[in-house]
Amino acid sequence: MRIFSFSRDRVMPGQGNRTLANPPETKPARPSSALLSAIRFVSGIVLIILIWQAAAWIINKSIVPMPLDTLRLFVKGLLSYEILIAAWQTFSKVLLVLALTILIGIPLGLSLGLSNSIYEICRPAIMVIQAVPVISWLTLVIFTWGIGWKGPVFIASISLLPVSILTTVSGVRNLDEKLLEMARLYRVRRADVVKDIYLGALMPFIAAILDVSIGQAWKVILVTEYLCGGKGLGEEILMARMNIDFTRVWAITLIAVSLGIAMERITKILLRRLSQRWTLV
Amino acid sequence: MDACVTVKNLSKSFGSLAVLEQWNLELGKGERLVILGPSGCGKTTFLRILSGLERPTSGTVEHNHMRIGFVFQESRLIPWRTVEENLRFVNPEGEIKEILSPLKLTGFSHYLPSRLSGGMRQRVNLARALVIHPDLLILDEAFTSLDIKIKLEIMKDIHCWWLKQRFSIIAVTHDLKEALLLADRIAIVTDRPSKIKNIIDVPLGIERKISSSDFIRMESKLLEMM
Repeated sequence: MRIFSFSRDRVMPGQGNRTLANPPETKPARPSSALLSAIRFVSGIVLIILIWQAAAWIINKSIVPMPLDTLRLFVKGLLSYEILIAAWQTFSKVLLVLALTILIGIPLGLSLGLSNSIYEICRPAIMVIQAVPVISWLTLVIFTWGIGWKGPVFIASISLLPVSILTTVSGVRNLDEKLLEMARLYRVRRADVVKDIYLGALMPFIAAILDVSIGQAWKVILVTEYLCGGKGLGEEILMARMNIDFTRVWAITLIAVSLGIAMERITKILLRRLSQRWTLV
Repeated sequence: MDACVTVKNLSKSFGSLAVLEQWNLELGKGERLVILGPSGCGKTTFLRILSGLERPTSGTVEHNHMRIGFVFQESRLIPWRTVEENLRFVNPEGEIKEILSPLKLTGFSHYLPSRLSGGMRQRVNLARALVIHPDLLILDEAFTSLDIKIKLEIMKDIHCWWLKQRFSIIAVTHDLKEALLLADRIAIVTDRPSKIKNIIDVPLGIERKISSSDFIRMESKLLEMM
Protein backbone atom coordinates (compact mmCIF):
# COMPACT_ATOMS: atom_id res chain seq x y z
CA MET A 1 0.00 0.00 0.00
CA ARG A 2 1.36 3.40 -0.95
CA ILE A 3 0.87 5.97 1.74
CA PHE A 4 3.01 8.86 0.66
CA SER A 5 4.06 9.83 -2.82
CA PHE A 6 7.83 9.67 -2.36
CA SER A 7 9.82 6.49 -2.95
CA ARG A 8 13.33 6.22 -1.63
CA ASP A 9 16.23 3.87 -1.15
CA ARG A 10 16.87 2.30 2.20
CA VAL A 11 20.23 2.61 3.85
CA MET A 12 21.46 -0.78 4.93
CA PRO A 13 24.30 -1.75 7.25
CA GLY A 14 27.61 -1.43 5.55
CA GLN A 15 26.24 0.99 2.98
CA GLY A 16 25.46 4.65 2.98
CA ASN A 17 27.40 7.56 4.30
CA ARG A 18 30.53 7.44 6.36
CA THR A 19 29.03 8.36 9.74
CA LEU A 20 26.45 5.65 9.35
CA ALA A 21 28.34 2.44 8.94
CA ASN A 22 31.89 3.28 7.94
CA PRO A 23 33.39 5.69 10.40
CA PRO A 24 36.65 7.11 9.06
CA GLU A 25 39.50 4.79 9.96
CA THR A 26 42.24 6.37 11.97
CA LYS A 27 45.49 6.45 10.09
CA PRO A 28 48.24 4.35 11.68
CA ALA A 29 51.15 6.45 12.86
CA ARG A 30 53.88 6.63 10.24
CA PRO A 31 56.96 4.59 11.27
CA SER A 32 59.20 7.62 10.86
CA SER A 33 57.10 9.74 13.24
CA ALA A 34 56.95 6.88 15.79
CA LEU A 35 60.72 6.54 15.55
CA LEU A 36 61.14 10.30 15.95
CA SER A 37 58.93 10.25 19.03
CA ALA A 38 60.99 7.37 20.52
CA ILE A 39 64.23 9.25 19.81
CA ARG A 40 62.84 12.36 21.55
CA PHE A 41 61.78 10.28 24.56
CA VAL A 42 65.18 8.62 24.89
CA SER A 43 66.87 12.04 24.46
CA GLY A 44 64.79 13.31 27.41
CA ILE A 45 66.01 10.44 29.59
CA VAL A 46 69.63 11.01 28.48
CA LEU A 47 69.23 14.70 29.37
CA ILE A 48 68.03 13.80 32.90
CA ILE A 49 71.01 11.44 33.34
CA LEU A 50 73.43 14.15 32.13
CA ILE A 51 72.00 16.73 34.57
CA TRP A 52 72.16 14.11 37.34
CA GLN A 53 75.77 13.28 36.44
CA ALA A 54 76.66 16.99 36.48
CA ALA A 55 74.94 17.43 39.86
CA ALA A 56 76.88 14.42 41.23
CA TRP A 57 80.14 16.07 40.12
CA ILE A 58 79.23 19.50 41.49
CA ILE A 59 77.52 18.45 44.77
CA ASN A 60 78.96 15.99 47.26
CA LYS A 61 78.96 12.52 45.67
CA SER A 62 77.67 10.88 48.85
CA ILE A 63 74.54 13.08 48.74
CA VAL A 64 73.94 12.94 44.98
CA PRO A 65 75.41 9.59 43.90
CA MET A 66 76.61 8.79 40.38
CA PRO A 67 73.79 7.61 38.07
CA LEU A 68 75.68 4.44 37.16
CA ASP A 69 76.15 3.46 40.83
CA THR A 70 72.44 4.09 41.47
CA LEU A 71 71.46 2.11 38.40
CA ARG A 72 73.64 -0.79 39.51
CA LEU A 73 71.95 -0.79 42.92
CA PHE A 74 68.54 -0.38 41.26
CA VAL A 75 69.07 -3.59 39.27
CA LYS A 76 70.44 -5.33 42.38
CA GLY A 77 67.39 -4.08 44.34
CA LEU A 78 65.03 -5.44 41.70
CA LEU A 79 66.64 -8.82 42.15
CA SER A 80 66.68 -8.68 45.96
CA TYR A 81 63.93 -10.54 47.83
CA GLU A 82 63.87 -7.96 50.62
CA ILE A 83 63.23 -5.03 48.24
CA LEU A 84 60.70 -7.00 46.19
CA ILE A 85 58.70 -7.75 49.36
CA ALA A 86 58.88 -4.06 50.38
CA ALA A 87 57.78 -3.01 46.89
CA TRP A 88 54.83 -5.41 47.04
CA GLN A 89 53.83 -4.04 50.45
CA THR A 90 53.85 -0.45 49.18
CA PHE A 91 52.10 -1.51 45.96
CA SER A 92 49.32 -3.31 47.85
CA LYS A 93 48.79 -0.25 50.05
CA VAL A 94 48.47 1.94 46.94
CA LEU A 95 45.95 -0.51 45.48
CA LEU A 96 43.94 -0.46 48.70
CA VAL A 97 44.00 3.35 48.77
CA LEU A 98 42.79 3.55 45.16
CA ALA A 99 40.02 1.05 45.87
CA LEU A 100 38.89 3.03 48.93
CA THR A 101 39.07 6.31 47.01
CA ILE A 102 36.82 4.92 44.29
CA LEU A 103 34.47 2.85 46.48
CA ILE A 104 33.89 5.60 49.06
CA GLY A 105 34.47 8.74 46.99
CA ILE A 106 32.21 7.96 44.04
CA PRO A 107 29.04 6.92 45.91
CA LEU A 108 29.56 9.85 48.28
CA GLY A 109 30.13 12.26 45.38
CA LEU A 110 27.07 10.82 43.65
CA SER A 111 24.83 11.52 46.66
CA LEU A 112 26.31 15.00 47.15
CA GLY A 113 25.87 15.76 43.45
CA LEU A 114 22.23 14.68 43.58
CA SER A 115 21.32 16.78 46.60
CA ASN A 116 22.42 20.37 46.73
CA SER A 117 21.48 20.77 50.39
CA ILE A 118 23.57 17.75 51.48
CA TYR A 119 26.42 19.12 49.37
CA GLU A 120 26.20 22.51 51.08
CA ILE A 121 26.26 20.82 54.51
CA CYS A 122 29.25 18.60 53.66
CA ARG A 123 31.27 21.17 51.68
CA PRO A 124 33.00 22.76 54.71
CA ALA A 125 34.09 19.34 56.00
CA ILE A 126 35.48 18.41 52.58
CA MET A 127 37.33 21.74 52.37
CA VAL A 128 38.85 21.23 55.83
CA ILE A 129 39.91 17.64 55.05
CA GLN A 130 41.47 18.86 51.82
CA ALA A 131 43.44 21.58 53.62
CA VAL A 132 44.74 19.50 56.57
CA PRO A 133 48.46 18.76 55.99
CA VAL A 134 49.65 15.14 55.94
CA ILE A 135 51.82 15.78 59.00
CA SER A 136 48.76 16.57 61.16
CA TRP A 137 47.03 13.35 60.15
CA LEU A 138 50.29 11.58 60.90
CA THR A 139 50.28 12.61 64.56
CA LEU A 140 46.68 11.52 64.86
CA VAL A 141 47.17 8.07 63.32
CA ILE A 142 50.34 7.28 65.27
CA PHE A 143 48.43 7.85 68.52
CA THR A 144 45.41 5.94 67.23
CA TRP A 145 46.91 2.90 65.52
CA GLY A 146 50.61 3.12 66.29
CA ILE A 147 53.08 1.97 63.65
CA GLY A 148 51.72 -0.24 60.88
CA TRP A 149 49.92 -0.30 57.52
CA LYS A 150 46.71 1.39 58.71
CA GLY A 151 48.30 4.82 59.14
CA PRO A 152 49.67 5.19 55.57
CA VAL A 153 46.45 3.79 54.06
CA PHE A 154 44.25 6.12 56.12
CA ILE A 155 46.32 9.22 55.42
CA ALA A 156 46.59 8.57 51.68
CA SER A 157 42.86 7.77 51.44
CA ILE A 158 41.78 10.84 53.40
CA SER A 159 44.05 13.04 51.26
CA LEU A 160 42.61 11.67 48.02
CA LEU A 161 38.95 11.41 48.99
CA PRO A 162 38.14 15.13 48.53
CA VAL A 163 39.45 15.00 44.94
CA SER A 164 37.38 11.93 44.20
CA ILE A 165 34.23 13.34 45.85
CA LEU A 166 34.44 16.78 44.23
CA THR A 167 35.25 15.36 40.77
CA THR A 168 32.24 13.04 41.03
CA VAL A 169 30.03 15.95 42.12
CA SER A 170 31.02 17.92 39.02
CA GLY A 171 30.38 14.80 36.91
CA VAL A 172 26.84 14.51 38.29
CA ARG A 173 26.24 18.22 37.75
CA ASN A 174 27.40 17.99 34.14
CA LEU A 175 24.91 15.22 33.45
CA ASP A 176 22.50 15.81 30.57
CA GLU A 177 19.17 16.64 32.26
CA LYS A 178 17.32 15.59 29.13
CA LEU A 179 18.42 11.98 29.58
CA LEU A 180 17.07 11.97 33.13
CA GLU A 181 13.83 13.48 31.90
CA MET A 182 13.55 10.75 29.28
CA ALA A 183 14.07 8.11 31.99
CA ARG A 184 11.40 9.75 34.16
CA LEU A 185 8.96 9.84 31.27
CA TYR A 186 9.42 6.12 30.56
CA ARG A 187 9.25 5.36 34.31
CA VAL A 188 12.60 3.58 34.33
CA ARG A 189 13.62 2.04 37.68
CA ARG A 190 15.94 4.20 39.80
CA ALA A 191 18.59 1.44 39.92
CA ASP A 192 18.68 1.29 36.11
CA VAL A 193 18.96 5.08 35.87
CA VAL A 194 21.97 5.03 38.22
CA LYS A 195 23.57 2.11 36.34
CA ASP A 196 22.90 3.23 32.78
CA ILE A 197 22.88 7.02 32.98
CA TYR A 198 24.76 8.18 36.07
CA LEU A 199 27.59 5.64 35.97
CA GLY A 200 27.92 6.00 32.22
CA ALA A 201 28.17 9.77 32.45
CA LEU A 202 30.65 9.45 35.30
CA MET A 203 33.05 7.12 33.47
CA PRO A 204 35.30 9.90 32.10
CA PHE A 205 35.35 11.47 35.57
CA ILE A 206 36.27 8.14 37.21
CA ALA A 207 39.13 7.85 34.70
CA ALA A 208 40.26 11.37 35.65
CA ILE A 209 40.09 10.51 39.39
CA LEU A 210 42.28 7.44 38.87
CA ASP A 211 44.65 9.39 36.66
CA VAL A 212 45.23 12.02 39.36
CA SER A 213 45.12 9.61 42.31
CA ILE A 214 47.72 7.02 41.26
CA GLY A 215 50.74 9.37 41.35
CA GLN A 216 49.46 11.10 44.44
CA ALA A 217 48.83 7.80 46.27
CA TRP A 218 52.40 6.60 45.64
CA LYS A 219 53.89 9.83 46.97
CA VAL A 220 51.73 9.95 50.13
CA ILE A 221 52.20 6.24 50.92
CA LEU A 222 56.00 6.55 50.62
CA VAL A 223 56.10 9.63 52.88
CA THR A 224 53.83 8.06 55.50
CA GLU A 225 55.74 4.75 55.46
CA TYR A 226 58.86 6.80 56.00
CA LEU A 227 57.35 8.83 58.85
CA CYS A 228 55.04 6.43 60.66
CA GLY A 229 56.52 3.10 59.75
CA GLY A 230 54.91 0.02 58.34
CA LYS A 231 56.78 -2.23 55.95
CA GLY A 232 57.39 -0.90 52.47
CA LEU A 233 59.67 1.11 50.21
CA GLY A 234 59.25 4.21 52.42
CA GLU A 235 60.69 2.30 55.37
CA GLU A 236 63.53 1.02 53.12
CA ILE A 237 64.36 4.65 52.25
CA LEU A 238 64.35 5.48 55.98
CA MET A 239 66.73 2.60 56.74
CA ALA A 240 69.06 3.65 53.90
CA ARG A 241 69.06 7.23 55.21
CA MET A 242 69.87 6.00 58.74
CA ASN A 243 72.80 4.06 57.28
CA ILE A 244 73.79 7.21 55.34
CA ASP A 245 73.57 5.17 52.14
CA PHE A 246 72.33 7.81 49.66
CA THR A 247 72.95 5.62 46.65
CA ARG A 248 70.45 3.14 48.12
CA VAL A 249 67.98 6.00 48.82
CA TRP A 250 68.12 6.97 45.15
CA ALA A 251 67.95 3.38 43.92
CA ILE A 252 64.82 2.68 46.00
CA THR A 253 63.33 5.99 44.81
CA LEU A 254 63.99 4.87 41.25
CA ILE A 255 62.18 1.58 41.94
CA ALA A 256 59.21 3.46 43.43
CA VAL A 257 59.08 5.88 40.49
CA SER A 258 59.27 3.01 37.96
CA LEU A 259 56.48 1.12 39.73
CA GLY A 260 54.33 4.27 39.94
CA ILE A 261 54.77 5.01 36.23
CA ALA A 262 54.12 1.36 35.29
CA MET A 263 50.93 1.33 37.36
CA GLU A 264 49.78 4.59 35.83
CA ARG A 265 50.44 3.31 32.28
CA ILE A 266 48.67 -0.03 32.86
CA THR A 267 45.66 1.71 34.43
CA LYS A 268 45.49 4.12 31.50
CA ILE A 269 45.50 1.27 28.98
CA LEU A 270 42.80 -0.60 30.94
CA LEU A 271 40.70 2.54 31.29
CA ARG A 272 41.06 3.37 27.61
CA ARG A 273 39.73 -0.08 26.73
CA LEU A 274 36.95 0.14 29.29
CA SER A 275 35.86 3.64 28.36
CA GLN A 276 36.08 3.37 24.57
CA ARG A 277 32.34 3.91 24.39
CA TRP A 278 32.46 6.97 26.55
CA THR A 279 35.22 8.61 24.55
CA LEU A 280 33.10 8.24 21.42
CA VAL A 281 30.52 10.60 22.88
CA MET B 1 -15.48 7.20 20.23
CA ASP B 2 -14.09 6.70 23.77
CA ALA B 3 -11.97 9.63 24.90
CA CYS B 4 -8.50 8.54 25.99
CA VAL B 5 -7.23 12.05 26.75
CA THR B 6 -9.40 14.85 28.05
CA VAL B 7 -7.97 18.33 28.56
CA LYS B 8 -10.15 20.79 30.47
CA ASN B 9 -9.48 24.52 30.91
CA LEU B 10 -5.73 23.95 30.87
CA SER B 11 -3.54 27.00 31.52
CA LYS B 12 0.15 27.27 32.18
CA SER B 13 2.29 30.23 33.17
CA PHE B 14 5.97 30.49 34.00
CA GLY B 15 6.02 33.34 36.52
CA SER B 16 4.37 36.28 34.79
CA LEU B 17 4.72 34.66 31.36
CA ALA B 18 1.42 33.12 30.31
CA VAL B 19 2.04 30.29 27.85
CA LEU B 20 -1.18 28.28 27.56
CA GLU B 21 -4.63 29.76 28.11
CA GLN B 22 -7.77 27.73 28.59
CA TRP B 23 -7.06 24.74 26.39
CA ASN B 24 -9.92 22.26 25.94
CA LEU B 25 -9.35 19.10 23.94
CA GLU B 26 -10.51 15.54 23.64
CA LEU B 27 -8.65 12.72 21.93
CA GLY B 28 -10.38 9.47 21.03
CA LYS B 29 -8.78 6.01 21.18
CA GLY B 30 -6.78 5.41 18.02
CA GLU B 31 -7.27 9.01 16.90
CA ARG B 32 -4.46 11.17 15.49
CA LEU B 33 -4.49 14.79 16.54
CA VAL B 34 -1.96 17.33 15.34
CA ILE B 35 -1.49 20.62 17.14
CA LEU B 36 -0.43 23.21 14.64
CA GLY B 37 0.92 26.55 15.73
CA PRO B 38 3.79 28.99 15.39
CA SER B 39 7.16 28.33 17.04
CA GLY B 40 7.32 29.30 20.70
CA CYS B 41 3.55 29.22 21.26
CA GLY B 42 3.76 26.56 24.00
CA LYS B 43 3.09 23.37 22.04
CA THR B 44 5.99 21.53 23.71
CA THR B 45 4.85 22.81 27.12
CA PHE B 46 1.47 21.23 26.45
CA LEU B 47 3.12 17.89 25.61
CA ARG B 48 5.24 18.08 28.75
CA ILE B 49 2.10 18.60 30.84
CA LEU B 50 0.38 15.75 29.00
CA SER B 51 3.23 13.37 29.74
CA GLY B 52 3.55 14.41 33.39
CA LEU B 53 6.88 16.23 33.11
CA GLU B 54 5.27 19.59 33.91
CA ARG B 55 2.35 20.60 36.13
CA PRO B 56 -0.42 22.84 34.82
CA THR B 57 -1.06 26.18 36.53
CA SER B 58 -4.79 25.46 36.34
CA GLY B 59 -7.07 23.00 34.61
CA THR B 60 -6.81 19.24 34.25
CA VAL B 61 -5.46 16.57 31.94
CA GLU B 62 -7.08 13.15 32.24
CA HIS B 63 -5.58 10.07 30.65
CA ASN B 64 -6.17 6.88 32.63
CA HIS B 65 -2.57 5.78 33.32
CA MET B 66 -1.78 5.10 29.70
CA ARG B 67 1.58 3.93 28.43
CA ILE B 68 3.04 6.97 26.72
CA GLY B 69 5.71 6.75 24.03
CA PHE B 70 7.45 10.06 23.42
CA VAL B 71 9.40 10.89 20.28
CA PHE B 72 11.54 13.85 21.24
CA GLN B 73 12.66 16.59 18.90
CA GLU B 74 16.27 15.63 19.59
CA SER B 75 16.78 11.89 19.96
CA ARG B 76 17.77 11.78 23.68
CA LEU B 77 19.49 8.42 23.26
CA ILE B 78 22.01 7.35 25.89
CA PRO B 79 25.26 7.98 23.97
CA TRP B 80 27.25 5.16 25.63
CA ARG B 81 24.57 2.52 25.11
CA THR B 82 23.93 0.68 21.86
CA VAL B 83 20.67 0.90 19.95
CA GLU B 84 19.46 -2.33 21.54
CA GLU B 85 20.52 -1.25 25.03
CA ASN B 86 18.72 2.07 24.58
CA LEU B 87 15.52 0.18 23.82
CA ARG B 88 16.03 -2.29 26.67
CA PHE B 89 16.51 0.67 29.00
CA VAL B 90 12.82 1.57 28.68
CA ASN B 91 11.53 -1.99 28.29
CA PRO B 92 13.90 -4.77 29.41
CA GLU B 93 11.47 -7.47 28.21
CA GLY B 94 10.66 -5.77 24.91
CA GLU B 95 10.83 -7.69 21.64
CA ILE B 96 13.61 -5.62 20.19
CA LYS B 97 13.98 -7.47 16.88
CA GLU B 98 10.30 -7.11 16.10
CA ILE B 99 10.58 -3.35 16.56
CA LEU B 100 13.89 -2.84 14.78
CA SER B 101 13.11 -4.87 11.70
CA PRO B 102 10.20 -2.85 10.24
CA LEU B 103 12.08 0.35 11.07
CA LYS B 104 15.03 -0.85 8.97
CA LEU B 105 17.34 -0.92 11.99
CA THR B 106 18.04 -4.65 12.19
CA GLY B 107 21.73 -4.53 11.35
CA PHE B 108 22.32 -1.57 13.63
CA SER B 109 21.24 -3.00 17.00
CA HIS B 110 24.83 -3.07 18.33
CA TYR B 111 25.69 0.42 17.05
CA LEU B 112 26.27 3.35 19.37
CA PRO B 113 24.10 6.40 18.57
CA SER B 114 27.18 8.42 17.58
CA ARG B 115 27.72 6.07 14.63
CA LEU B 116 24.24 6.63 13.24
CA SER B 117 23.01 9.39 10.97
CA GLY B 118 20.45 11.94 12.23
CA GLY B 119 17.61 10.15 10.46
CA MET B 120 18.54 6.79 11.94
CA ARG B 121 18.87 8.25 15.42
CA GLN B 122 15.36 9.62 15.05
CA ARG B 123 14.20 6.14 13.99
CA VAL B 124 15.73 4.69 17.14
CA ASN B 125 13.97 7.46 19.08
CA LEU B 126 10.72 6.22 17.51
CA ALA B 127 11.63 2.56 18.13
CA ARG B 128 12.16 3.37 21.82
CA ALA B 129 8.69 4.90 21.97
CA LEU B 130 7.15 1.89 20.23
CA VAL B 131 8.93 -0.81 22.24
CA ILE B 132 6.77 -0.05 25.28
CA HIS B 133 3.63 -0.74 23.18
CA PRO B 134 2.19 2.71 23.80
CA ASP B 135 -1.46 3.61 24.14
CA LEU B 136 -0.52 7.14 23.21
CA LEU B 137 2.36 8.21 20.97
CA ILE B 138 3.53 11.78 21.41
CA LEU B 139 5.56 13.42 18.67
CA ASP B 140 7.25 16.65 19.66
CA GLU B 141 8.33 18.28 16.39
CA ALA B 142 9.97 14.93 15.76
CA PHE B 143 10.88 15.66 12.15
CA THR B 144 12.15 19.25 12.38
CA SER B 145 15.84 18.52 11.93
CA LEU B 146 15.39 15.97 9.14
CA ASP B 147 15.46 16.42 5.39
CA ILE B 148 12.23 15.88 3.48
CA LYS B 149 13.16 12.38 2.27
CA ILE B 150 13.96 11.00 5.72
CA LYS B 151 11.03 12.89 7.21
CA LEU B 152 8.57 11.20 4.85
CA GLU B 153 10.18 7.81 5.43
CA ILE B 154 9.76 8.06 9.18
CA MET B 155 6.22 9.40 8.85
CA LYS B 156 5.43 6.41 6.70
CA ASP B 157 6.90 4.11 9.38
CA ILE B 158 4.70 5.73 12.02
CA HIS B 159 1.70 5.37 9.74
CA CYS B 160 2.37 1.64 9.26
CA TRP B 161 2.68 1.08 13.02
CA TRP B 162 -0.47 3.05 13.65
CA LEU B 163 -2.38 0.94 11.13
CA LYS B 164 -1.18 -2.20 12.97
CA GLN B 165 -1.67 -1.10 16.55
CA ARG B 166 -4.15 1.80 16.41
CA PHE B 167 -2.65 3.74 19.30
CA SER B 168 -3.62 7.38 19.70
CA ILE B 169 -1.23 10.02 18.44
CA ILE B 170 -0.72 13.60 19.51
CA ALA B 171 1.84 15.46 17.45
CA VAL B 172 2.90 19.08 17.49
CA THR B 173 4.33 20.86 14.50
CA HIS B 174 4.47 24.17 12.70
CA ASP B 175 4.66 22.45 9.32
CA LEU B 176 1.35 22.29 7.42
CA LYS B 177 2.33 19.33 5.22
CA GLU B 178 3.43 17.31 8.22
CA ALA B 179 0.12 18.07 9.94
CA LEU B 180 -1.92 17.04 6.92
CA LEU B 181 0.02 13.82 6.43
CA LEU B 182 -0.35 12.74 10.04
CA ALA B 183 -3.70 13.96 11.33
CA ASP B 184 -7.30 12.88 11.59
CA ARG B 185 -7.95 16.26 13.23
CA ILE B 186 -5.86 19.41 13.45
CA ALA B 187 -6.03 21.86 16.35
CA ILE B 188 -4.84 25.29 15.27
CA VAL B 189 -3.39 27.36 18.08
CA THR B 190 -2.60 31.06 18.28
CA ASP B 191 0.63 32.75 19.26
CA ARG B 192 1.60 33.06 22.97
CA PRO B 193 -0.34 33.03 25.25
CA SER B 194 -1.77 30.34 23.04
CA LYS B 195 -5.41 29.40 22.75
CA ILE B 196 -7.02 26.75 20.60
CA LYS B 197 -8.41 28.76 17.71
CA ASN B 198 -10.04 26.00 15.75
CA ILE B 199 -10.18 22.22 15.46
CA ILE B 200 -10.76 20.87 11.97
CA ASP B 201 -11.23 17.39 10.51
CA VAL B 202 -8.84 16.16 7.84
CA PRO B 203 -10.95 14.16 5.37
CA LEU B 204 -8.06 12.93 3.26
CA GLY B 205 -8.41 9.18 3.83
CA ILE B 206 -5.67 6.70 4.68
CA GLU B 207 -3.54 7.08 1.57
CA ARG B 208 -2.27 10.64 1.22
CA LYS B 209 -0.30 12.22 -1.58
CA ILE B 210 1.33 15.60 -1.17
CA SER B 211 0.74 16.32 -4.86
CA SER B 212 -2.98 15.43 -4.85
CA SER B 213 -5.47 18.25 -5.49
CA ASP B 214 -7.34 17.47 -2.23
CA PHE B 215 -4.14 17.74 -0.27
CA ILE B 216 -3.20 21.07 -1.89
CA ARG B 217 -6.71 22.45 -1.36
CA MET B 218 -6.65 21.42 2.30
CA GLU B 219 -3.23 23.01 2.71
CA SER B 220 -4.50 26.35 1.32
CA LYS B 221 -7.54 26.18 3.58
CA LEU B 222 -5.33 25.54 6.59
CA LEU B 223 -3.06 28.40 5.64
CA GLU B 224 -6.01 30.77 5.48
CA MET B 225 -7.19 29.66 8.90
CA MET B 226 -3.84 30.25 10.60
